[in-house]
Parts: sequence; structure tokens; C-alpha cells
Amino acid sequence: MSRAADIVLASDRHLKWPSLDAVERALMALCGLCMVGFTASTLLDVVSRAIGHPLLWPQEVSSAFFIYGIFVGAAAATRRNDHLYLSAITEAMSGRLRLFFEVFNRLVVLFVGLCLAIYGVQNFLTGFGSFRMPSMLPIAYLYFPIPFCGALVALFSFEQIVNGLRNGFAPVSVPEDVGTSA
Amino acid sequence: MSNSAILAIMTILFLVFGYLGVPVAFALAAGVIVGSLLTPVTLQSIIGQMFNGIDSEALMAIPFFLLVGELMTSANVVIRIAELSQALVGHMRGGLAQVTTVFSMFFSGMSGSSSADVAVLSRTMAVPMSREGYSPAFVAALIAAASTIANLVPPSIMAVVYGAIGNVSIAGLFLAGIVPGLMVGLGLMAFCYFFGPIGFRRARSSLANLTAATRDAALPMMIPIILLGGIITGWFTPTEAGVIAIGYILLVVITFLNPRHLRNVPRDFVHAGLIYSLPLFTIAAASAFGWMLAYLRGPIVVAGWIDGVAGTDPHLIMLLLVLVFTIVGDFIEPIPAIIIFMPVVNQLTDSASINGVHMGIVLIVTLAFGLITPPYGLSLLMASKFVGVRFSSALRASLPIYVIFLVTIAFTIFFPEAVLWLPKTLFPESVGCFKAPSGSGYICP
Repeated sequence: MSRAADIVLASDRHLKWPSLDAVERALMALCGLCMVGFTASTLLDVVSRAIGHPLLWPQEVSSAFFIYGIFVGAAAATRRNDHLYLSAITEAMSGRLRLFFEVFNRLVVLFVGLCLAIYGVQNFLTGFGSFRMPSMLPIAYLYFPIPFCGALVALFSFEQIVNGLRNGFAPVSVPEDVGTSA
Repeated sequence: MSNSAILAIMTILFLVFGYLGVPVAFALAAGVIVGSLLTPVTLQSIIGQMFNGIDSEALMAIPFFLLVGELMTSANVVIRIAELSQALVGHMRGGLAQVTTVFSMFFSGMSGSSSADVAVLSRTMAVPMSREGYSPAFVAALIAAASTIANLVPPSIMAVVYGAIGNVSIAGLFLAGIVPGLMVGLGLMAFCYFFGPIGFRRARSSLANLTAATRDAALPMMIPIILLGGIITGWFTPTEAGVIAIGYILLVVITFLNPRHLRNVPRDFVHAGLIYSLPLFTIAAASAFGWMLAYLRGPIVVAGWIDGVAGTDPHLIMLLLVLVFTIVGDFIEPIPAIIIFMPVVNQLTDSASINGVHMGIVLIVTLAFGLITPPYGLSLLMASKFVGVRFSSALRASLPIYVIFLVTIAFTIFFPEAVLWLPKTLFPESVGCFKAPSGSGYICP
């Protein structure tokens, strides 16, 4: 398996469409890119100040990478089931009851994803009327990842519901170390 | 529908969804969205509040602290810190238990997250401890308790969130957390010495061994100094200190100690890029929840209850908040708890004229305690899973350790001078002190 493919999580394969692996891979690569960009721009900010030539734009670039990274990561984590959980009472259930609550839980996530997508687009459009200092770019560019994340969250939840109804939600054993868990 | 009823619906939905297995962030967001449908608040403004919750310079430190822990762990440099701990305290009664505690105290100064500590301690110490006859339940309980130190000492992510949301000095919280952090660490060492399993007795390390272990661990042990030193001298903000630490790890620690790991650094960045989004996405949803709570005047109601019982007695207010946060911390994650209840905390802090840093550290210690109490003691859940023991067994083994935390919480409440001594000495402005008009020394309220 190539290194690029290696960043797609191998667990819960029965809940995933192989065709969406490329999306997960791209999101993981974007997570890394955001982290690198965030680190580099913050470092540039510190260095430019230390040498007596402070730059203003690295701060804005840092916050853009930071915000994009959050929403891109949240979308990727939805497909990988990596989010923070209070508990998973549902996992202790079995049969139809489990099937019902597994679908219900994902419908809640799907609902929130759709709200993020729909109302995020409204925020994005409103954001063309406000501007971010010092670049004076419309703040809409910072709102963009919200509907992007929402749409992907909805897509991944739908993917899991369809595959879960077809194959069941209970985990099936997978070979160790095929992918990387968070 | 009354505000109280809407609040109740939001809270019940969040808890029901959360406990059924909906991710915390989505459970919070679903509760807020349903709540907002019952009010004139638009969903567009709820999404806006989610964005506002994370658009904060102070929160930008979190990815760097997580990346520090990720790089140190995946480059396997932490083993040198374990060896130093072994050389320092491995000869004491309960040798490996002492080593685990000291190792956690050192690593906490780099990771800022108890989850990272649990993972590292379980990976490095659980097997050797089990091999020496320590019961798995005791191992899990000790690892979980020791990992909470990461939330108390710098660069605690809990302190960063508290400071950013509550408008309290993060440097002040970092410094104020050192005394309670040491109390928990030393308390665990004393517990292991007097009440824990004896373990294997080893010979005391020779001076040559100790020197060698110190030399080997010297480069990674500079990281806490860079982080804290840069912040309290005013050279860096916490975010900048984090990025300087990353630069130091990449250019010095990994380059000199494990250069072969450099080719894996891109993977560490990808991994850190994913894991930092998890708490921050939760913070975004919790911010919207907290905003809605404030919109519905929830803080005024809760603060009114506490005010009615405690008046303006700062100790009683803090004790009641400790009670509230102990209960809340048993059911939800510390970070959402901080954000949701911050308006209540701020109101009570102001009304009783309590120092913001003092209040912050009391609540952070309480939430750290919540990480090892049922039903949702995240650190204990993780440790019992990694060690391979039932949660109930690990919980029973943890019960005596609770005493250490209760004593630390009481000490933090009733002896503010001791807790605030470090910030007052090293960074007086962080706790509200200001320069005396004469120009010499500080005046502290």
C-alpha cells in the first residue's frame, strides 16, 4: 500500500464506500497542509518581529489556516469516527434496537451537517459585506469551510447509514496496522 | 415557552444524544439548533456564534501543544524521560509506580493534554509494571490519576481554553497550576510509597548513571523551559511559545536524538492536523451552546441560586462551584463544561471579588479530578482500555487516590496565597497586580 493510501483509516470498512476514500485522503492531506501552513506562518510572524521587521499578514494567514484546519479535520473525523464521544451506549446494544439507534445517531449528525451547510452558505454570502484586516479581504473566505464541512459531514453520515443498513453497524475485524488511528 | 423550559430541552437533548453515542460536538450543536428554533434566534446567527467561538488568538496555542506531544511521542524521545525518572526514583519503595508518576510530571510539562499522557504512560509503563506484579487495576488507576497533572501544569490546554474564554491571563493560570500539579504528583508518590504495592526493590542509581540519564534527557527536558520561560518573560504569547517549541523539537531534539524519524514528520503533522480539530470543533459547538445559555439568561438563574445560598462569601461560592463542576464534569467533557458555564463563573467571580486566576485554577483542578471519576472519567476510561482491565476494577483502585485530589482542591480554595505565590512573584500583572507609583515593586489587590 502506498504511503498516500496509508492515511485512510482501515477500520469500519463495512461502513464506507471505497469511492469516498479519495475524499478522506484529500481531507487528511489538507489537515497536514493546514498544520504546516499554520506553523510556518506563526513562525514567520515571530521571526519577523524578532529581527525588527514585523509583518502583519502572517497573523491573518495563521488564523485562516487554523480555522480551515478545524473544519476540514472535523469533516475527516466524521468519516473516521474519530470525534470526541461522551459514551456509546448504543454499542452495547444488539439486534434491531442497535440498528435503530445507530441510524438515529447518524441522522442527528446528518441533520447538524445539513444545518451547517445550508446556514453556513448564508453566512458565507453575508460575509462578503465585512472585511478582514489587514488584507481587507471579505470575511466570507473564512466562513467558506463551514458549509464545506457541513456538506461533507452530511455525505459521510449518509454513507454510514446506507452501508450500516446494508452490512450492519457492529465492527468487523480488520488486519492490524493497515491504516492509522487517531 | 419559558426560557427555563427551552434551556431544559437543550440540555436534555445534548445529554441524551451524547450518551446515545452522537459525537459531543454534534450533540451540543443539535441541542442548540433545536433550542434556537423555539426562540427568535436565527440558525444563521448560531453558525456565526460557532465561528466566533474559535476565532480566538489564544486558542491557536492548542494545535502547537498537541503537535509537541505528537512529535515527542512518535519520535520515541519520551523513553529518555522515562529512563531519567527511573534513575531518579526507581530505587524507592513502589519503584515503577514512582517512576510512572515522575515520568508523568515531566511529560505533562510538554503535552498539555491528559489524553496524550494516558496514551504515552500506558504504552511505556503498563507492560513493565504488570511484569513486576502490579495489578492491572492499580496500574490503570495510577496512570489515569498521574495523567491529570497535564491539565494543571503548563502548557495545560484546559488553562488555555479557560483563559481564552474567561478573559483570564493564561500565563497566570499556567503558573498558578504548578503548586496543585506538584501536590497531586507528590501526593501520588506518597500514596505509592505508603499504600501501594512494594514492587521490585532496585539499587539506587550511581551518580554516573544519573548523570548519563540526565544528559540523555537534557534536550527534551528543555521544552517545558522554552514554553514557560518564553511566556513568563513576555517574549512570546502561548501560541508563539508553542511554535518555538515545535521548531526546537524539529531542529534540535529529533535531528540529534532520532534523525531517522525526520522522514515521518509529515505524517505527524497530518495526524496533529486531525486531532487538533476535535477539541476545537467541540469548542465551536460549546460556544454556541454557551451563547444560547446566556441569551436565555441561564447564567443569571444559576448565579442567582448560588448567590442565594452563598451570598458574597468567596469560599462558599467556590465550594458550590466545585460541587457544580464535579457533577457537570462527571457527565461532560471539561472543555465544553468550561465554555458553557463560563458566563456563570464570571458573574460569581465578579460579585464576590475573587481573583480570576484563583477561581480558574480551582475549577481546573476540579475538572481534572472529574477525569478519574465515574461515569465519564475520560482518563480512567482510556487507561482501563489501554491496560486491559474492567473500568469498575480500575475505579475501585482509584478510590483511595480521590483523597489526594480532594485535599488539593481544598488547599487550592483555602490557601490562595500559596497557589498565587508563583504568578505574583514571576508575573505579577497576570493576577491583577500593578506597578507601584513609586516605581519599586507591585501593588496586588
